[in-house]
Amino acid sequence: MNSYTQITGEIGEFSDLPFWKKVGIADLLYVAYGGLIVTLVIASYILGALNLLKWDPQAIDLELMMAPPGTAGHILGTDFMGRDILSRLIVGIQAYFLPGILAVSISLFTGSILGVLAGYRGGRWETAITYFTNLVDSFPRLVLILLVIAAFKPDIYYIMIVVGLTNVPVVTSLIKGKIQFLRQKNFVEAAEALGLPARTIILKHILWYNCRSLLIIQATLGMAEAILMETSLSYLGFGVQEPAPSWGNMVQAGANYFMQGKFWPSTAPALAILFTILGFHLLGDGLNNMLEGRRGR
Amino acid sequence: MMEGPLLKINDLRTYFYSRSKQAFIRSVDGVRLEVRKGETLGIVGESGSGKSVTALSVMGLVTGGPGVITGSIEFMTNSDRKNLLDGLQDFVEITQENGRIMSVKKDVIGWERRSEEIMQGIRGGEISMIFQNPKAALNPFMTVGGQITEAIMLHTGIKDRKEAEERAVYWLKRVKIDSPRLRFGNYPYGLSGGMCQRAMIAMALASEPDLLIADEPTTGLDATIQSKIVDLLLELKHELGTTTMLISHDISIISRLSDSVAVMYGGTVVETGPAKDILSSSTSSKHPYTAALLASIPDDYHIREKIPLQAIEGDVLDTINIPPGCRFYGRCNRVTEKIRKRCESEEPDLREIAVGRNVRCWLYYE
Amino acid sequence: MPGGKLVFLRFDYRVEVFDRYPKHMPKTILEVIDLKKYFTQRRRLFSAFKSDIRTIPAVDGVSFYLKENETVGLVGESGCGKTTIGKTILRLENPTSGRVIFDGKDITAMSREELRRLRSRMQMIFQDLDAALNPKMRIKDILREAIRVHHDVSDEEVDKRISELLEQVNLKKSKLSNFPHELSGGEKRRVGVARVLSVGAKFIVADEPTSALDVSIQAQVVNLLRDLQDQLGLSYLFISHDLRVVELISHKVAVMYLGKIVEMGLSSKIAHAPRHPYTHILWSSLVEKQSRESSSAAKNVQSGIWGVFDFERPYSGCRFAPRCPVFESKGRPAVCTDPQSEPKLIDVGSGHQVACHFPL
Repeated sequence: MNSYTQITGEIGEFSDLPFWKKVGIADLLYVAYGGLIVTLVIASYILGALNLLKWDPQAIDLELMMAPPGTAGHILGTDFMGRDILSRLIVGIQAYFLPGILAVSISLFTGSILGVLAGYRGGRWETAITYFTNLVDSFPRLVLILLVIAAFKPDIYYIMIVVGLTNVPVVTSLIKGKIQFLRQKNFVEAAEALGLPARTIILKHILWYNCRSLLIIQATLGMAEAILMETSLSYLGFGVQEPAPSWGNMVQAGANYFMQGKFWPSTAPALAILFTILGFHLLGDGLNNMLEGRRGR
Repeated sequence: MMEGPLLKINDLRTYFYSRSKQAFIRSVDGVRLEVRKGETLGIVGESGSGKSVTALSVMGLVTGGPGVITGSIEFMTNSDRKNLLDGLQDFVEITQENGRIMSVKKDVIGWERRSEEIMQGIRGGEISMIFQNPKAALNPFMTVGGQITEAIMLHTGIKDRKEAEERAVYWLKRVKIDSPRLRFGNYPYGLSGGMCQRAMIAMALASEPDLLIADEPTTGLDATIQSKIVDLLLELKHELGTTTMLISHDISIISRLSDSVAVMYGGTVVETGPAKDILSSSTSSKHPYTAALLASIPDDYHIREKIPLQAIEGDVLDTINIPPGCRFYGRCNRVTEKIRKRCESEEPDLREIAVGRNVRCWLYYE
Repeated sequence: MPGGKLVFLRFDYRVEVFDRYPKHMPKTILEVIDLKKYFTQRRRLFSAFKSDIRTIPAVDGVSFYLKENETVGLVGESGCGKTTIGKTILRLENPTSGRVIFDGKDITAMSREELRRLRSRMQMIFQDLDAALNPKMRIKDILREAIRVHHDVSDEEVDKRISELLEQVNLKKSKLSNFPHELSGGEKRRVGVARVLSVGAKFIVADEPTSALDVSIQAQVVNLLRDLQDQLGLSYLFISHDLRVVELISHKVAVMYLGKIVEMGLSSKIAHAPRHPYTHILWSSLVEKQSRESSSAAKNVQSGIWGVFDFERPYSGCRFAPRCPVFESKGRPAVCTDPQSEPKLIDVGSGHQVACHFPL
């Protein structure tokens, strides 16, 4: 009975509202958190790449095996070979950073081209592309990755190319759907009637103005997906190979000691995965709501 | 023919809330209306004037926003008399400032439960409605005949399925659908727009309502089909004498079908009265909006002489940003220096200026 | 199904409008000759690669012409092919056959690039209010882009041109930084018109420019279009189902039925002395013309017009015959349904043309 909804409504011109009121506080928090994660990821990548770490991630210290967090300057402790977990976490980013960007670029680029062809040209193009995407979609991704690993070698870049390619159907169908929706509103036709060249219409009016939020979300989701994929593969032993660190193989290696009560070698990377993926998802969600003007509905 | 009122709406306010503008959309803002038994009341107004929302408020079908917040809707049949918003004000708390509603606190769940209680048996039975888009309003997965039969069994004394089906065929015939027995088994998508609207009318009338609300019954149909639907409504009006509330933006349709007219602008009724007075071409003792609206429609004179139309300057009132004075002040061309100040600062109310004629304008208050 | 065959120029469909131009003969700006547009529709999912395709003749042999500074109205029920004609003339749709000659050049034979340049002189106002307006672009950017499509101009000139356009269409300057969804219907329509003008078009196809607007705003737009015609010497092909507006704004009117023009002539003649039974029905269906008690005469004329027409319904001879009251009252004469003799547009005096075996 007491589920009152209170609404106060007096005139406030939309443009006069403060920024945070326009976008909604939740979205702002999402984006802030996601942005923080992305910044951390980039900072970690730079730190690792420039070798600015206090501890060498590969340095084995047999005196200090499985040291709990806080021991002798090892903030997160050490693993079963006495290597510093924090350093390995930071360097582990390298297993995802460039490969993840590669996967995302492949899926966005190919997906956009196919999506535009299917949505803008339509007809036979659409039929052919739909068949192709259905074909790719129906192929189990893990099997495909294992096939590639078997044929070449267990390299993260090969894996990420496959991840990128198998993500193409998602992007394609989203872009296609968006264009078909935009065509109904027929400002695309009006742009043609105005005499704009097809290049301008596709790049500026369709992709830039109307698909950018969609592409951003797909990019953030793609990064999250790449991390998850590597983790699963590492668990099967096909991901990034030791001694090079990745969050996936750290979890896998640490899991053996979990039952002995030594939780930190697997918990730290697992939490890193959790918070990073959450960050990417929230970033995508928040940015989408901001760009599309979908406030809290 | 003219008897006491069947429906009496008083001070009805239905607001919605625009999140993006953080303000109320005052769709219906103090509407006062009366529909007398046996008559057809035409409600004219442009988009956003609140005519459809008024109808939905009567039906208890407003969803979202704060919705209906004040007012009374009295519905008086021969046997019964009830207020469709009875007791609902208990669920609403309003904060006012200078006579303007600034914030609303509403127990939506309690309100809806209560409203359902009151409307049960009335909606679709004693009051039925014809919607603007018949294709969307009919259930696409049920045959046309099945839907009418269901309405009959639900709302009239006929409880036997066979008998109800016969009755449905009778109504299909009544609205002049050719080969009604064949159409009885058709699904809505198999029918053309005009045919669907006929089926919709049949369904609305089949429950033998005391009040029929027709919301833009001809909008979106072709001119030739439109005139056939109007013919049909006219015929049914003479034969059945159902009290009707006809909502349309098309003045020509209103002028053909209604006995009295209410003109709406910016969420309020600005003028009511007999159709022949309000829709006549003279401008005397009319609301300036009504007069300007009538003048902006091309007639034979404009066409023959190829002279420009008399457009109403400015834009349709945005019901988010209602000015303090008269709602039509910014577009009005009949403000005199004598009343300018009042027009600007004070809102006039709907006052009787002659028998059966109410106008909301300072011009007639001296 | 008539295929694409060689088409010759015919002069018998001309309607001269002398009364408005007493001094000189204006030149013909647009000429449409036997234009046909058939749509194909596949029936089933897999039929893209098969020949299981049905054909809809949306425009089936239409010829007319348009002079400078003139307005031709095109009326008919929804689905009769009005909009398709407009789009085909601008070659937003490729015609199946026939020719469209604009300013002496055949549009149907133009290359993509030629066509693109042609858009600076012929434009379209779309029925959809949001059509011209990319929802994510500000009004300023929309206009700026339109000005720059065909002319390479400096920033100051663009700004000057924008304020000029705003004045022409009577739009407030403050609206420039708004997004389309923040504008009202009338304002959107004005932006659409401004955009069409910004490329400097002289010939405009106006597809239902008033249909989505409120009554009081409709009059503003009609007046605007007429003022612009006087100021800038524009020519319009005015497509609408609102007969009063067409009558008001057009010099000539063409009435379409099922993809064909059935009657064409001066607007006053079409409205007040129609010769084709369909035109008669169309104009007598104007609700306000009928008395409140609904005259029985009007009803009788309409009694024949019942269902809705359908491209799939087979017809032979005159395509209006199944709904035609004259056909009924004359006792179903064989000539109307003879597939060999579909009525052609014939001049019935002073340029008035009608395609009927028994004109009223």
